[in-house]
Amino acid sequence: MLELRDVRCSIGKHEVIHGVSLRVEEGELICLLGANGAGKSTLFRTISGVVRPRSGEIIFRGEPIHRLGPDRIVRLGISLCPEGRKLFPRLSVKKNLMMGAYTRYRNRVEVKMSFQEVFELFPILEERLDQDAGTMSGGEQQMLAIARALMARPKLLMLDEPSLGLAPLVVKRIMETIQEINRRGVTILLSEQNAAMALSISHRGYVMENGKIVLEGSSQELMDNEEVKRAYLGA
Amino acid sequence: MSFFINQLIIGIQLGSQYMMMALGLTLIFGILDISHFAHGHIYMVGAYLLYTFSVLAGINYWVALPICMIILALIGVLVERLVYRPLRGSPSINTFIAAIGLLLAIETLVRGIKKDAVRVPVPVDRSVSVLGMSLEVQRIIVILGALLILLMLQWFIKRTRLGIAIEAMAQDREGASLVGINVNRISALTFAIASALAGVAAVLMAPLGAITPEMGNPLILKAFVIVVIGGLGSMKGAIFGGYILGVIEALGVAYISSTYKDVFAFALLIVILAFRPTGLFGERAA
Repeated sequence: MLELRDVRCSIGKHEVIHGVSLRVEEGELICLLGANGAGKSTLFRTISGVVRPRSGEIIFRGEPIHRLGPDRIVRLGISLCPEGRKLFPRLSVKKNLMMGAYTRYRNRVEVKMSFQEVFELFPILEERLDQDAGTMSGGEQQMLAIARALMARPKLLMLDEPSLGLAPLVVKRIMETIQEINRRGVTILLSEQNAAMALSISHRGYVMENGKIVLEGSSQELMDNEEVKRAYLGA
Repeated sequence: MSFFINQLIIGIQLGSQYMMMALGLTLIFGILDISHFAHGHIYMVGAYLLYTFSVLAGINYWVALPICMIILALIGVLVERLVYRPLRGSPSINTFIAAIGLLLAIETLVRGIKKDAVRVPVPVDRSVSVLGMSLEVQRIIVILGALLILLMLQWFIKRTRLGIAIEAMAQDREGASLVGINVNRISALTFAIASALAGVAAVLMAPLGAITPEMGNPLILKAFVIVVIGGLGSMKGAIFGGYILGVIEALGVAYISSTYKDVFAFALLIVILAFRPTGLFGERAA
C-alpha cells in the first residue's frame, strides 16, 4: 500500500533522514519505534507532504506522491495525526471535526456517518461538541486529533506519538481504540516511544535510529530481540 | 447635547471606515503574518476606480460598488501571488520592504495617471436633521453599509466551510494543511476578501472627501493602530478598536482641537498598550 524507497530529507542544511526504505501493506498496523530525535516525526511529515524529500521515492497505491502537497495527499487517503496534535484551539470540537472532513464536503451523508463513527469511538467528543478544542484535557485533545484525522476517511492513518504526555490509563484507552480503528479496515502506521505498548498492538515494526531504519521484523520478533529489549523495553 | 450626538454619529461613521480597513489587515495578519502596509493604497485605488466608473464612464454609483469590489478583490489576489507568496519563509523584514515598495509603486503609478485631487458626487445628495443638527445621508449610508458588510463577513467566517478554514489556518497553519486545506488558495481568498472590504470602504467614503494619491497613508497608519489596539489577528479587536478610535477622534476634534486630529489614535495606542500589551482581545504581544 505504501512504500518508501531510499528517502532522504533535510531540515535546513542538515540531512536528518538518511535513506529510509519501508513498506506498509493494506490492513496492517505497523509501529515505528525510536528515541526522541530519531527522525520519526520528520518521516511522517515527509509522507504527508509537509516536508519534501531530497531524494528517493514514496509510492502510495502504485502512485508516486513525494512531489505532491499535503492537501493532495489527504485527498488520496493518507491522514496524519501529528505530534503536538496541531488542533485548532479556538474552534469548537465540532468545527475541528468539520475541518477534518474538509476534503469531503460534497458528500454530506457520508460526512454525517463519519461523525457517528468517531462518536462511537470517542463518546466524550459528542458531549464536548461546542467546547473549544484548546480548553479540553490532554487526553481529550488527543482523541479529538485522532478523530479529526479519521474524518478525512483515510485508507492509511499515521499517528505520531499519540501517547505523549498522557496518563497511563488514557494511553491504554487510546491504544485500544487504535486497534479498533485498524480492525475496522484502516491501515495504521504508529510511531511511539512507549515501545512495549506499541509492540503489543501492532503486527510488524521498524526501529529507527539517527535517521535510519536499523531493525525490522514482526512485533513478536522485535519484542524478543535483545537490542530492542535493552534500548526500548527497559528489560 | 445634540452637538454631542451629531459628533458621535460622525465618529461611528469614521469608525465604520476604520473597522473595514482594520478587519482586512487583521485577517491578512492572522493568516500570513504579513504587515500589509499597502492596504491603504488598495483603498485609494478603490476610490479612483469609483471615480473612473461613476464620473468618467457615467455608471450608476450602486452598480459601480460591486464592480469596484470585484476588481479590488482580483488586485488583492495578484498582490498576494506576485508580491508576498514568493517571499514566504524569508525573514519578515523582506515582506516589510516589499510592502513599502508596493505602496510607493501604487502611489506613483496613480499620480502618474492623475495628479490632481478628484471628487465623486454624493449618490444621495440630501441631509436629514438629527435633533436639530443636519447630517448628510451619505454618512448614514456608510454606517449601515459597513454594518451589513460586517454581518455578512461574520456569517461567512463562522458558518461556511471556507470561512472556518480561514480561522483554522490562522490558528494552526500546519494543522490546516494536514486536513487537506490548500493554504495557498486560502491565502488568496483572504487577500480577496480583505481587498474587497477596502473597496467597500473606499466606495462608501469617497463621496465625502477629496480623492488623492496620498489618501491611503493616514488611513493605513490608523488601521494598524486599531489592529494593534484590538490585538493582532483578532477580528473582534478590529471591530471594537475601529469604532472606539472613530468615536474618540470625532469627539477629540469637536471638544479639544482639530489640529490634533491624528494624535488621538496614537495617544490611545500608547495608553492601551501600557495596560494591555497584547491589545484588547489579543493573545500575542504587539
